[in-house]
Amino acid sequence: MRGLTDLLMGARLAFAGGRDGWTRTVLTAIGVGIGVAMLLLAAAVPAALDARTARGDARDPRGGQELAAGPATLLVAGADTEFRGVPVRGVVLRPEGLRAPVPPGLAALPRAGEVAVSPALRDVLESGDGPLFAPRLGGARVVGTIADEGLAGPRELAFYLGSDTLSGERAKRVDGFGTSVPSEGFGPVLMLLVVIIFVVLLLPIAVFLGAAVRFGGERRDRRMAAFRLVGADRRTTRRIAAGEAAAAALLGVAVGGVLFALGRQLVPLVTLWDLSVFAADVRPGRTAVLVITLAVPALAVVVSMVALRGVVFEPLGVVRRATGARRRLWWRLILPLLGLALLFPLFGNVRTATADSRYQVAAGAVLLLIGAVTLLPWLIDLVVRRMRGGAVPWQLAVRRLQVDSATSARLVNGIAVAVAGTIGLQMLFAGVQNEYRHDTGADPGRARAYVHVPPAGGIDAVARLAATPGVTRASGTLQADATPAGTPDRIVEVYIGDCAALAELAYVDGCGDGDVFVSNEEVAVGDRLSFGAQGPQWTVPVAARRVQVRLDPVGWTRRGVLATPAALDAGRLGPLTAGVYVRTDSTDPDAIERVRNAAAAVTPLAYVSEVSETEEARRFTNIRRGLYIGAVVTLLLVGASLLVGVLEQLRERRRLLAMLVAVGTRRGTLAWSVVWQTVVPVLLGLVLAVGFGLALGAALLRMVSVTISVSWDVVGLSVALAAAVMAAVTLLSLPPLWRLMRPDGLRTE
Amino acid sequence: MSGRAERALLVADDLRKSFGATPALDGASMEVDAGEVVAVMGPSGSGKSTLLHCLAGIVPPDSGRVCYDGREVSRMGDAERSALRRSQFGFVFQFGQLVPELTCLENVALPLRLERTRRRVAERRAAEWLERLEVGDVAAKRPGEVSGGQGQRVAVARALVTAPKVIFADEPTGALDSRGGERVMRLLTAAARETRAAVVLVTHEARVAAYSDREVVVRDGRTRDLARAAS
Repeated sequence: MRGLTDLLMGARLAFAGGRDGWTRTVLTAIGVGIGVAMLLLAAAVPAALDARTARGDARDPRGGQELAAGPATLLVAGADTEFRGVPVRGVVLRPEGLRAPVPPGLAALPRAGEVAVSPALRDVLESGDGPLFAPRLGGARVVGTIADEGLAGPRELAFYLGSDTLSGERAKRVDGFGTSVPSEGFGPVLMLLVVIIFVVLLLPIAVFLGAAVRFGGERRDRRMAAFRLVGADRRTTRRIAAGEAAAAALLGVAVGGVLFALGRQLVPLVTLWDLSVFAADVRPGRTAVLVITLAVPALAVVVSMVALRGVVFEPLGVVRRATGARRRLWWRLILPLLGLALLFPLFGNVRTATADSRYQVAAGAVLLLIGAVTLLPWLIDLVVRRMRGGAVPWQLAVRRLQVDSATSARLVNGIAVAVAGTIGLQMLFAGVQNEYRHDTGADPGRARAYVHVPPAGGIDAVARLAATPGVTRASGTLQADATPAGTPDRIVEVYIGDCAALAELAYVDGCGDGDVFVSNEEVAVGDRLSFGAQGPQWTVPVAARRVQVRLDPVGWTRRGVLATPAALDAGRLGPLTAGVYVRTDSTDPDAIERVRNAAAAVTPLAYVSEVSETEEARRFTNIRRGLYIGAVVTLLLVGASLLVGVLEQLRERRRLLAMLVAVGTRRGTLAWSVVWQTVVPVLLGLVLAVGFGLALGAALLRMVSVTISVSWDVVGLSVALAAAVMAAVTLLSLPPLWRLMRPDGLRTE
Repeated sequence: MSGRAERALLVADDLRKSFGATPALDGASMEVDAGEVVAVMGPSGSGKSTLLHCLAGIVPPDSGRVCYDGREVSRMGDAERSALRRSQFGFVFQFGQLVPELTCLENVALPLRLERTRRRVAERRAAEWLERLEVGDVAAKRPGEVSGGQGQRVAVARALVTAPKVIFADEPTGALDSRGGERVMRLLTAAARETRAAVVLVTHEARVAAYSDREVVVRDGRTRDLARAAS
C-alpha cells in the first residue's frame, strides 16, 4: 500500500510543477510518443502485408483451359502498363453469359466501350496528365470506380476495361475470382535480409526511447534529492522516481497511440516506391500493442533507476553526479563480442542450416550494434579528456563534454546505430545482389522499348508506332509459328520484316527485299513449313542464306527463318504477332507514354516493356523497396527525436544561457558552443558507426559465404546522410536557442 | 533632469515595465554616481530585480530611459547593449550562476576571453582576482565542488576581473549564511571601492544594505531615495 502511495506521488510529480514541469513531461511524452508510434507502425507491417496479399489473391481470376464457355464464365486478359514509371494494373473483361463473375471492387462488369478505374487513376485522368493516359483506354467511358476491396493500395493505378471482341485464344476463361497461391517463401538469404532490416530499423527507435525517458532527468534527480533531504529513505525515493518516470512514459504511450492513429489516416496519402497502404490495413496485433504498452513504461522505470545510482544527495539540496571514475572499457566490449559470438556459428551456414536461426541472427546483430551505443561515451571521454584551450565556444563545448559525455552520447546513439546498421545491411545487399539480379543482354542503345502486339493488328503496329511523335525509329517483325512437314511436334519461328528489322535478329549482310535467311540449324532450304494445322504452307527457298543469329535489342536470341515481305506475304498467313523495337527522342520524356498509347490503340492487349540491361528478382526488389521506405521513416524519426533531445538539453540550461547573455556573451559564441557540443559526439559516433557497420557487414557476408568487400560510396553516403540530419537538427535548434538566450530568462531568479 | 542626474554615471528615469498584465516597474527613477555603492531594497515582488535588469540593459523598459555615461542604454540595439555589459558592467547573481563545467579559474577568466583577451593573460588576471578574494585554492575546481560562499566569491571575482565601471549584484548573499554573506559583501565592496566601480546592490536584508552609501527603496514598482548612509 505504501509502495502504491509512493508511486502515485511520483506520478503526481510528473504533472505538477507548473509550466516547467508540464513542459518537461510533454517533451518526454512527445519523445516517447514518436518512438511508440514507430513501434506500433512496425508491428502493423505484417498485418498490412497480409491484407495486401489477401486482396491481391481475392482479385486473381480463377479458371483455366478446362472451363467451357457458359453463362457464368468471363474472359479475362491482362493489359498491364505503366504511366510515368508507375505500374498500372489493367484487365480487359468480356462476359460470356449473364451470370459472369464480377471482380472484387466492382459493382458490375463494364460493357464494351466502358471502363472502371481506381480512384488514383481517376485522379490522373482528371488531371493535366489525363490526355496523355486516356488514349490507353481506347476512348472508353469511365462508368465506375474500383472500390477498396479490389485494390492493392489506395494509390494503385488500375482499370477494368470492357470488351466485346476479346476471344478465348488471347484471354483466360474464368468462373470466379480468388485464389490462394502458397507463398514461395523468402529463402535463407532473403530471410536474413528481412531480419537484419527489422533490426536496423527498429534498434535506433529503441535506443531513442531509452534516451527519451531520461528527458528532464537532471531536474528529476534534484527533486529526488529534496525528498531524501526531508527524510525519505532510498527505497521510497526510488519508488517515487519510478512513479514519475512511468507516468511520463505512460503519457508518451498515449501520445504514441494518438500519433499512430493520426499518422494512420495520413498513410493512404503517401506513396513510396509505388507502394501505398490503406489506413484500415495498418493494424498492429493485440499482443504487440500490449507488449509495447507495458514495455515502454517498464523501460522508463529501469532507465530511471539506473540513472539514480549515479546521483548522490548532500545537504542544502545540492546534488552532485557521482563522476570522477573513469569509464571502463571491458564491459562495453562484452555486448558486441557476445553479438559476434552469436553470429559466429552461422558463418558459412546460413544457406544450408535447417534450424530456424532468425532469433539468433537478430540477437547477434542487436548486440553487435549496441556496441556503438555502449562504446560512445567511453570514446568521447577518451578523446575530450585531454583537450585544453581553444576559443571560448570550443572551450565551453569541450568542458561540457568532459563533465557529462553520456548526455551528448545519448543524443547521438540513435543515429550511430542507424548508420552502423545501414552500412552492414548495404554490404549484405551488395554482396548478394548478383544472385538476384542478372544481365538481360539487352542494349538500350539499340531500342528504348519493345512492343509485343498479339495477333490482330500486328501488321499495322510498326507503321503506327513509327508515326508516333517522339519515336525516332521503329523496326519490327511479324512473327508466326510454323511446323516443318513431317515433324508436327517441332515449331519453327518465322520472322517477316524489312532488312532493317531482320538485322536486329541476325547478321543479314547484303539484305534486299525478296531475300530469305535461316538462323536455325534445324531448318534447311527446301523445308516445307505449315502455318497452322489447316493453314497455308510455304517452302524455304533454295536461295535462302544461312546467317548467324544476333542478340536482339532486348537480349533475346530469335532463331528461325527470317523473310523479307517480298519473299513471304504476311497477309496470307492470317493474324500475326508483331514484335517492334522502338527508339525514342531522349529529350522527350513523354515519348514512351505515347508509344504505350499507340500500342494500346492497336490492341489493349499490346505490351510495352522498356529495355533494361539488368533485371532483378521481384522479391529482392520488394525487400529493398521495404528497406528504403523504412530507412526514410527511421531517418525522419531519428531527426525528429534528435531535435526534441537537443531542445530538451537546451531547455535544461536556459538559466545558464540567459546568465551568459546577461553578462554580455555574444549569442554567436553560445550558438557555436552548442554546435561544437553536437559536432564532436556526432563525429565520434560516426567513426564508431562505420567500425561497427563494417563489422556487422563482414559478419553477415561471412554467414552467406560471400567474399567481404566494402562499398566506400555507400559508407560515405550513409555517413553524409547522418551528418546532414545532424546539421539540419542543429540548424533547427538555433531559433529556439536564440529565444532561450533572451536575458530576461533571468527574471525567474 | 536634475543637475545631479546629469553628473551621475547611471540614470534611470521614469521606468515602466510590465510582464503581461503584471506591472513590475511603475515610474521608477534613480541615479548612481561613479564609485558609489547603492542598495536597492524592497520586499519580494516589489520590482527591484526588474529595476536592476533594466539598469544593466538586460531587459528594455516599456517606457522611460536608462542612461549610462551620457549614452541612452534603452535606445541601444541588442548587440550594443551586450557589448556594454561585457566591457563596462560586472554581475553577481544570487546563486553565483557559474558555468558548471568550467573550472573556477576559467569561470573568472570567461568575461576577459569574451573580450578576446588571450587565454594565458586572461587566466593570469583571473588567478590574481581569485587570490584577492581569498579563493585562490579553488581555482582548479569546478563550481559543484566548492562551497556556496566560495562559489559566490568566485562570482564576485568574475564580476570584477574586467575592471567594470558598474557592478550589478542581485541578492549576492541570498544563498549564504550570515558569516559567509558578510565576508562576500566585505570583499565585494572593498574591491569595488579600490577600483572605483559603482555597485548596484539588490537586497532585502538591512545588514547587507548597510555596506552601501545610499539606499533606494522600491515598493510597488516605484522608487524612493533614502538619505545617504553615514560613511
